[in-house]
This record gives sequence, C-alpha cells and structure tokens, in this order.
Amino acid sequence: MNLIKKLRIWKELRRLEQRAREQPCPSTFVDLGQVYLNLAMADKAMQTADDGLSLFPESAELQKLRDFARRSRARARVGPLRSRLENSPTASLFRELSAIYLELGDQAGLHATCQEWTVRYPDDSGPWLMLGQARLGNYYRDLSAVEGLEAISVLERVLELDSDDQKARRLFAELLFRIGATQQARTQLDMLADEEDPELGALRQQASVAPDRGDDFDELLRRVEHDGSLPNALPKVVRASSLDVGLGPLREALAQIAEQRGVRKATYIKGTRALVKGDIRDGKDAFLRVVRVIAKSSQRFGRRLDVGNFTKGVVHGSFGNICICCYGEVVAAVQCDSTAQVDRVLADLQELVAGSLYSFGGNS
Amino acid sequence: MSSIQETLAELRQASGVKGCVMLTPDGLVIAQDLDARFRDDVVAGLASYLVMSTERVLKEAFMSSFDQMTIHTAHGKAVFANMESSFLVVLLDQFADLDSCRGEIQGSVQILRRLSRVGRD
Repeated sequence: MNLIKKLRIWKELRRLEQRAREQPCPSTFVDLGQVYLNLAMADKAMQTADDGLSLFPESAELQKLRDFARRSRARARVGPLRSRLENSPTASLFRELSAIYLELGDQAGLHATCQEWTVRYPDDSGPWLMLGQARLGNYYRDLSAVEGLEAISVLERVLELDSDDQKARRLFAELLFRIGATQQARTQLDMLADEEDPELGALRQQASVAPDRGDDFDELLRRVEHDGSLPNALPKVVRASSLDVGLGPLREALAQIAEQRGVRKATYIKGTRALVKGDIRDGKDAFLRVVRVIAKSSQRFGRRLDVGNFTKGVVHGSFGNICICCYGEVVAAVQCDSTAQVDRVLADLQELVAGSLYSFGGNS
Repeated sequence: MSSIQETLAELRQASGVKGCVMLTPDGLVIAQDLDARFRDDVVAGLASYLVMSTERVLKEAFMSSFDQMTIHTAHGKAVFANMESSFLVVLLDQFADLDSCRGEIQGSVQILRRLSRVGRD
C-alpha cells in the first residue's frame, strides 16, 4: 500500500470516527468497523461493533460485523499459538487452539490438534469435549445419524474420563432430550448440579412432561434422519424483544404517512418483520419484496461504488412513485401516485426511520 | 446533430454532475464521460445489477418498468433514466441540486433516445 493510499484511508478513518461520535447510526459503525478490518485491526473492529451494539442492540449488520471481527481476531491468533505449542506444549494451549478451530469451523485443524492433545495428555477429557462439540454442531446441522452416534460416543468418553464435567453432561442431556430419549435425558439432568439457570430449569421441566421414545439411540437417530426433524425442541426462555417495545408510536406515524394525499401503500421494515398501512393485504404483499430488493440493490450500489450507504431513493414509473428511505437495517417506503408530495413523503419517512432507531436504542 | 458522446460531455458540464454513462441493461457501455475516480466497467456492472434487479422485482409484482430512478447515498447521488433499450446513469455529488439538474438530464435523455433510434434506423 503506498503512502498516499494509506493517508487517504487514515483520513477516512478519522472522518468515520468523528461521524460515529456525532451522528451514531448502525451503518456508520459498520463502515468504521470495515475500515478497521481492512487495516487488519480486528480488535478495534470488535470494539466498534460492541460500541455500536450498545446503542443499537438489535442491529443485524452490527452483529455480523462483530462475528466477522471475532473470527478475524481468532484467525490471527492461530499462528502464534501454534508456534508456542511447538516450543512448549501445555494442555491449556491445546485447549485455547482447539477452541479457536472450533469457533472457526476448521474441522481438520481441530482434529489434528485434539489428536496431538490426546497423545500428550491421554487422561484429559478436554480434547474429547472439543470433538464432541464439533460432532454435535455437525449433527444439529445435518441431522445425520452417523454424526449423532459419533457425538454420543465422544460425549460418553468425556464422561468416562471425567464424570463431573457439567458441560459435557448437559450437552449429552440436551441431545438425548432432543432425539426423544427423554427418560435417559432425565437421568442425565438429575446428575447435573442445581444451578440458578433458567434455561436448565426450563429443560428439566420440559423433559419431565415430554413422552419417552425409548433408549435405542441408533433407532432414534435414524428416525430423526428419516423425518428430517428433531422430535423435541430446546425450550426457549422468552426475553422481551425491543421490536415489540414502542411499536405503538411507529404504527401511528406510519398511519399518518399512509393518510397523506396520494399515498396508497406504506410500510416500515426491520429485518424480517414489517408494519404495513394502506392498500396492503398482508406481509406477503409483493410491494414489500419490491422495497426490500430495491433497498438492498441500492445499498450494494452505493457501497461498492464507494459513495457511501444508500439513504433514500425514488423510483418513478406508470405505477406512480415508490419512495424508499433506508437507515442501516431499517427501511421505510411508500407507493404513491402523482398527486403526492414526494419531498414531504420522503422527509416523513426519514423522520420515521431515524426516530425509530433512537427509540429502539433507548428502549433496549 | 450532436453525437451520443457529445451529449454526455455536455451533460457532464452541468453543476454537480461527476459523470454519466449510457449502457445496455446487461451492462455494456455504449458511451461514457466519467470523473477520473470512477471506472466505467465498475459503474456499468453495478448500475446494470441495480437496474436489472429493480426491473425484475417490478415485473414480479406485476408493475411496469420504471422511467426514472434516483438514489441518494452518503457521498453522492445517482439518476437512472430508462431509454427503452438502454439506460442513462448520471452520477452526482452529494451537494448537487437534483431539481436544477432535472431539466438537463431530461433534455439529454430526449436527445439520446432520438440518437439511438436514428442509429437503429
């Protein structure tokens, strides 16, 4: 990278840092994080994502940035850890490196490290737990009976080596519960220490009432593979979503926009959820897809052309005007005819989107 | 009669205009007059993607093709004008006044439409 390019990037960085401070919004944090990642500053990118998430906890883009930064940081740690392991191998170094491989989904790296770990420390249950977690990940993804059997065998091995391993026992109990071996799951859950964990409590309660489908693991796993679904789902501990908070004022503001002269349809979209007003049947209305596709394509156009994030747009045709306003992951849009005041509609949409972001940030 | 290239060059002189490209819907550049910071193949590829995605989704929703699309981004604006078998893409800076440019863009679109029809005849 030449000096002029470097200077340009640093200048852009300063500008984005200032914008994130003065006008915080998810897209600014994402842009700033991306610049840090381009400069191989994964820690700073992670910090930026955390800062952004503290203001906008529901932002999917910021969560993606955080995941990406975490993986980049993990990838950067592999090389130094490997060389430390070659010089002075210890169980904690093996554990650290295996955890990174597990996080990165690098099965080959994980297996090689765990193999070396078991050779050096044959009585340590750690490598088997790591392998068990990897097998479980594969099983829940593919529901393949072979992977499930491997996961069971590896987790049983962990418990043989260390019967007090609470994590392995819990993973084992969850797996047994999910495939329908409820009686066996109950036995494992009874052996777990009593913790003040609402998820564990919910699992115990669910396991106590769910029907038992037997204890032939092979048969149960094959049935799951055949059906393509697990008979029991893990109970979810319900937490209030910030999307459900403060929808009233949003609905009201959207209704006001929909009542403006010439406006036929109005929508407010956040992630997969949408509020609709006006001549829209339901969430499956084609207009919502039109808005999503145009907003996403425009976002890509702006970013790739290096002219910044898409903020608003108007598509004009014989169908009238489609006005879209976008702010991070939130999109508000209307379809209106030629009698509508497009500038006013756009201004109202902008206000709706910006206002909703601040209220979500504050409420969460 | 001015050529397509001359028309684009003239439009490029308008206040706030950073460049303009005439392209086919599949992204082939017919003519262009762009600021040095933009590469014509990049602009054409991205514009074609946006135009084709928009056309496709409008068709799926049983809507007609669009005539004009304007997008605002943090550091710029872009206008896409549909000229039946081709598109005009005008890139502007973020401070450009679209109302004052609208006349010039429409004028250019009329000329380019006429010129492309003459070319076909």
